[in-house]
Amino acid sequence: MTRTINITILALIFSACSKEPEPLIYGKDQCYSCKMTLMDRKFGAELVTSKGKIYKFDDVNCLFNFYNEGTVNKDDYAFKLVVDFSQPEKLINAETARYLKSPGIKSPMASEVAAFESSNPTLKAEWNATEFGWSELEDQFTR
Amino acid sequence: MKLLLLILTFFIALTSADAKTYFVSKQAGHILSLKKAIALAQNGDTIVVEAGLYKEGNIILEKSLTILGHNLPVLDGEHKYEILTIHADNVTIQGLKFINTGVASINDIAAIKILDSKGIHITNNQFENAFFGIYLANSSQSRIENNVLTAKGTYENQIGNGIHLWKCEHVTIHNNVVKGHRDGIYFEFVTNSLITNNHSEGNLRYGLHFMFSHNDDYLYNRFINNGAGVAVMYTKNVKMIGNLFEQNWGSSAYGLLLKDIRDSQVSQNQFTENSIGIHLEGVSRTQFESNTFKANGYAIRLQASSDDNVFTKNNFSSNTFDMATNGTLVLNKINNNYWDKYQGYDLNKDGIGDVPFHPVSIYAIIVERIPAAVLLWRSFLVTLIDRAEKAIPVLTPENLKDDFPTMKPYDLAATSK
Repeated sequence: MTRTINITILALIFSACSKEPEPLIYGKDQCYSCKMTLMDRKFGAELVTSKGKIYKFDDVNCLFNFYNEGTVNKDDYAFKLVVDFSQPEKLINAETARYLKSPGIKSPMASEVAAFESSNPTLKAEWNATEFGWSELEDQFTR
Repeated sequence: MKLLLLILTFFIALTSADAKTYFVSKQAGHILSLKKAIALAQNGDTIVVEAGLYKEGNIILEKSLTILGHNLPVLDGEHKYEILTIHADNVTIQGLKFINTGVASINDIAAIKILDSKGIHITNNQFENAFFGIYLANSSQSRIENNVLTAKGTYENQIGNGIHLWKCEHVTIHNNVVKGHRDGIYFEFVTNSLITNNHSEGNLRYGLHFMFSHNDDYLYNRFINNGAGVAVMYTKNVKMIGNLFEQNWGSSAYGLLLKDIRDSQVSQNQFTENSIGIHLEGVSRTQFESNTFKANGYAIRLQASSDDNVFTKNNFSSNTFDMATNGTLVLNKINNNYWDKYQGYDLNKDGIGDVPFHPVSIYAIIVERIPAAVLLWRSFLVTLIDRAEKAIPVLTPENLKDDFPTMKPYDLAATSK
């Protein structure tokens, strides 16, 4: 009995300390900025602080609303993640991702941005989109 | 007025000398397919579709036609196709049943999709298991009326919105029933439009979802048991009058979620049995008048980012918390409301309590900071803290108070329906 309790306590301690990203649960998780329930599995983003606190977003502009607000120091993130448009629900490193922006992209909060693990020339041509990296995207969404 | 104009154009179209009527039916001797009838018809003609099951894939309509269903003919999308795509002005679609559209993750497949059009009339149709029901993009001067949309979505990604409008203006959505979709009614960049007398129930996310849509009114709608209630965001100048928000329960469910709203009006609505009646974040210069809040977890959750709002003549009864806030600075006016928790007296018998009412209880503040503390709700300790705080306020915002609480509830039954 005591052993079970010990294990439970240990498990709780370790789970509380983990700095691993969490999957986005569509239909259940709420966007931290706009409070909308996440729905569209092609879009989404997540920030994990170095202390392990997780912020989930439904669209990159919601991420930047929070990111630029300065609640968390920009150097204090363990993970910056976005969802790959072509691989729904898959979180990829936001800093190495490629981004396409075009009015043809109907994202949940109208950022008109889709993220990809690597460049996607086919969709870029189809949407007549502009391609960005993370730092250019950051400039775009910094007022 | 808009309706009148539409009816007029309709009759002019009907009476113009060369207007023809085509009959589509499964019986020999008739035109067998709707596609064929559309190909034959000219602008201003009418097509009558007789009862039957029509599997025609994607029908594209690029002429100004009136299509009338007789005895509810069924257009089947066979789980593969978008059923009807309209790209023409002055089209009427009436009395048809649309079933089983395709489902796609990249394209928004709809039972009826309307693109870049004006003067569209979608009336008395039924929709079953559509991905998106009625989808309007870049369209205006249209009317969506008396339609019934039912879907059985279990996963949010497998179901689209019931009535979906994107970049539209001057559209009326009247007396429709939407059940089981992702968002019942969805507005994004829609201006000068009306949503009236609709019934939105059991949708997976929001009953009504409203973003970047200015100068719209929504009146006398019923939003019941939707996944997260109704959300109105990033919008100015909306009127929300006489609506019913009911049974929106859940950890992130709201009767009405207001975020970044300005210069709007919320009046004569009824909020019954919701986790949170109204959640306000970044709301400014908005009037909340003559609403009824009954048996909600929180009647109003007012985030400190909201200012210059007026709460007056509302009835608050049987709510766990009448009001909660996360700040101490209060920039909103709260006056002349009825609170069933008010324990003051009225010595001069003018119907207004002689001591102010503080709607934010200390326990609401504690729960705001430590959500898990809600476990202790209704315990003896909490009652004790509440009494002590009432006598000597320490934590509750001193200025958040109703200076003129009424002794009797307002009679709002006549106004809310």
